Amino acid sequence: MLFFRSEENVEAWCLERGLPKRPVVTLEQQWRLALAWYGDRLSPEAHRPKPAEMRRIFAEIGLEGPFWDPESDAF
Amino acid sequence: MDQDTDLKLAIYRHTAETTRPPSAEEMASATGRDSHEIREGYQRLFANRVLVLEGDGETIRMAPPFSGVETQHRVQVAGKQYFANCAWDALAIPAALHSDGEIRSRCEQTLEPLQLLVRGGRVLGDECVVHYAVPAALWWDDIVYT
Repeated sequence: MLFFRSEENVEAWCLERGLPKRPVVTLEQQWRLALAWYGDRLSPEAHRPKPAEMRRIFAEIGLEGPFWDPESDAF
Repeated sequence: MDQDTDLKLAIYRHTAETTRPPSAEEMASATGRDSHEIREGYQRLFANRVLVLEGDGETIRMAPPFSGVETQHRVQVAGKQYFANCAWDALAIPAALHSDGEIRSRCEQTLEPLQLLVRGGRVLGDECVVHYAVPAALWWDDIVYT
């Protein structure tokens, strides 16, 4: 999960490495994901999200489909 | 609280305080357990995807979002500098510490510096995006690459 200044830079980076371009997440989406995933990390109740919870967290910020499904093999 | 949760919290509190994940000896001293017991706890936390260990099986490489090694993602919070494992984790350090922060990283294509600020629960700063090269189902196949 790397930062890029623009989607054009993502495309150039992937092309140079022969990698497919995968989803690009906005800074706002990434911040919301950080809060949802890690906001309670230092509390006794913290736990790694189970697959259904992961799908819900991703869906709430608009990230849906097989790429974001931890149990999918159809990405 | 079970022993592994207790150990996990001790690891995270040590890391938040010192900026680096603790050695097994440091955790033995902090928890009053022997270091063999701590190493076994590290292994269970690794198996449960809470920690990532180095090849020696006892050095913490990642206590996500914190990194045990220097990376291009530097995060300043309350006068302390942390290293994050990835772009997601760079934002997650202020989120986990419930604090404002400053993130200094780079565009991986141009290597241009990036600066982001977390202020009052919002993120501001240079225009940028985050690219996910690996599908969620494969993240833990090689979490360091992910």
